[in-house]
Amino acid sequence: MAEATHDYSKHKKTYAAVGIALGVFTMVTVALGLWPPLDFGPPGPTASDFVLGLAVASTKASLVALIFMHLNHERGLIYKLLLFTFLFFAGLMILTLFADFDPIREQYDTFITTKGWLTEKP
Amino acid sequence: MEIPYEVTPRRDTGLYNAKLGVWLFLASEVMLFGGLFSAYVFLRLGVQEGVDNPWPWGVSVHKNFVWLGAINTVVLIASSVGVVFAWVALKERKWRQYQVLMYFVVACAAVFMCLKTVEYNSKLNHHHGIKLTDNSVMEGTILDKTDRIRFNGEKISISLQGALPAVLRDLDSDDFPEFTVTEGPEGTVGTKLDSASSFSSWFAENRRMIGVKLAEERKRYRAEGASGVANPKPVSVTTSAVLTASKPFAIHGSPRKIVGHSDTAVNYKDGVKLEGKLISDDVTFELHEVDMQLVLPQSQRESVVWNVINDEAAKQQFFASQSRKYQELVEYYGKRDEVIPVSMLRGHYLNVNFVHVAAEGHGHGEKEKAHDEVHTSEPKKSAGAGGDHEEHGPSRLITVPRDQIKFMGNHGPRYGNYYAIYFTMTALHGIHVVGGALVLLFFVVFGKKLYLKNPEHLANRVEVGGLFWHFVDLIWIFLFPIMYLL
Repeated sequence: MAEATHDYSKHKKTYAAVGIALGVFTMVTVALGLWPPLDFGPPGPTASDFVLGLAVASTKASLVALIFMHLNHERGLIYKLLLFTFLFFAGLMILTLFADFDPIREQYDTFITTKGWLTEKP
Repeated sequence: MEIPYEVTPRRDTGLYNAKLGVWLFLASEVMLFGGLFSAYVFLRLGVQEGVDNPWPWGVSVHKNFVWLGAINTVVLIASSVGVVFAWVALKERKWRQYQVLMYFVVACAAVFMCLKTVEYNSKLNHHHGIKLTDNSVMEGTILDKTDRIRFNGEKISISLQGALPAVLRDLDSDDFPEFTVTEGPEGTVGTKLDSASSFSSWFAENRRMIGVKLAEERKRYRAEGASGVANPKPVSVTTSAVLTASKPFAIHGSPRKIVGHSDTAVNYKDGVKLEGKLISDDVTFELHEVDMQLVLPQSQRESVVWNVINDEAAKQQFFASQSRKYQELVEYYGKRDEVIPVSMLRGHYLNVNFVHVAAEGHGHGEKEKAHDEVHTSEPKKSAGAGGDHEEHGPSRLITVPRDQIKFMGNHGPRYGNYYAIYFTMTALHGIHVVGGALVLLFFVVFGKKLYLKNPEHLANRVEVGGLFWHFVDLIWIFLFPIMYLL
């Protein structure tokens, strides 16, 4: 049985720190969703909440990818591989822009014609 | 056989083979989940508030399960940390530590799947929705299996071809009535059947006999035709039967198998007709929320749902909550000098509200009490989004007449686009969790031999298995906010 070849105490500290950071970010995600003072923009999930929520999720994801999956010091071949993965993934996401491409869509605003329907007292 | 480059990197790639392999696999996994994330965005962008396909807020769907989801996130993160530490333990040649850490990781996976089961169970068995004729929706729980049609049968008309009638499964097998065949194929009239097993063997026997007789008749018909008989006698075999029960028998008919029913008859999809007397087809419902997203604002006060609920206090509760939220919107948009967007007016925020139908005999008179509830709960409720779920003591069950129901179901994949994509993505992710955990379990249970032979090889295996495990964690990091919070 070969002996250990490298000192891993530094690695361990990083991994533990990242683990704690991920836990904290999870709490941030929950707070963004549940705690009213952190509900930016109009009430409920709206564009700004999405941007924030996904930004936190992306930070967490990058921590996992860079530190746990060792992407911070990997061989060039893997980065080349992931470049293509990223391009295809971006393509899939760009596809969703077609959801808004519809020159003949009717606007549904016409449904709201009665003004003040909500202001009457119950 | 010695496989090269399991431990040492190849010169051209700079990697040991398994690592390159797993990264290629992960790249294809990104595509798999990427397609589903793309589908999620499409479904969500396709929502037209107030017109079609309402999208529930994750928070309001999951209620207490948001915390379950958060705990699951932490559990997966802990397991990810566990895998890297297990890998380091191998690199440091600490077998015992490696074992403990790997079992911890597998235990985390088990916890994750258990919590997931709790969540699925609640959605599939305890949360139901009823859409009424005017598209208003009541959310809550259907109790005592009252989605079924309760019927006292006396006579069954069946076809003796095809599968065993579905009605048999709706019968209480412990209280099986004695059936007498009153009409049927030759020689069967008068047969008595007193148990489910005798029924099914009688059915199978006759189905076989009918097959034989039909073949014979067809043969005769063809033979007569061939021999020049001008008008051969047509093929005629009795293929149906009528069974009369000695006493009325109780049926709990699953609406999925029934096409229609009246006060005196039930028609099953498989062609079976049941005659007798309807006991009840009303649905008993525990109401939690009313969803008016698909009802025009000006029609909401006259909605069918208020006749069904039949409780003035509950109605007031809904509209009090709605106008309070509306004031919030007026304030928010007024400050910015903007018009409230239609998506807000017709969407989830204003049109889905908690409603509590208080149990009777709960202190003073109904009307007075209703007044109290609305007012005392108001200051508490202004806490903000999603804060409308306080309890008001025991709730009264409401009875929903079946002719008012357009659709009812559990919160399974069929309930709406949100539930469809929620179940697709979380279940696919769950399968990945199970698969990853099995691989890691294999490395710890059967790893000792390899460890003694070549510990670096085992360390590489764990690194590669760990890469997959981190990827599964990474997917959940995105699934949790988009499914539960946003």
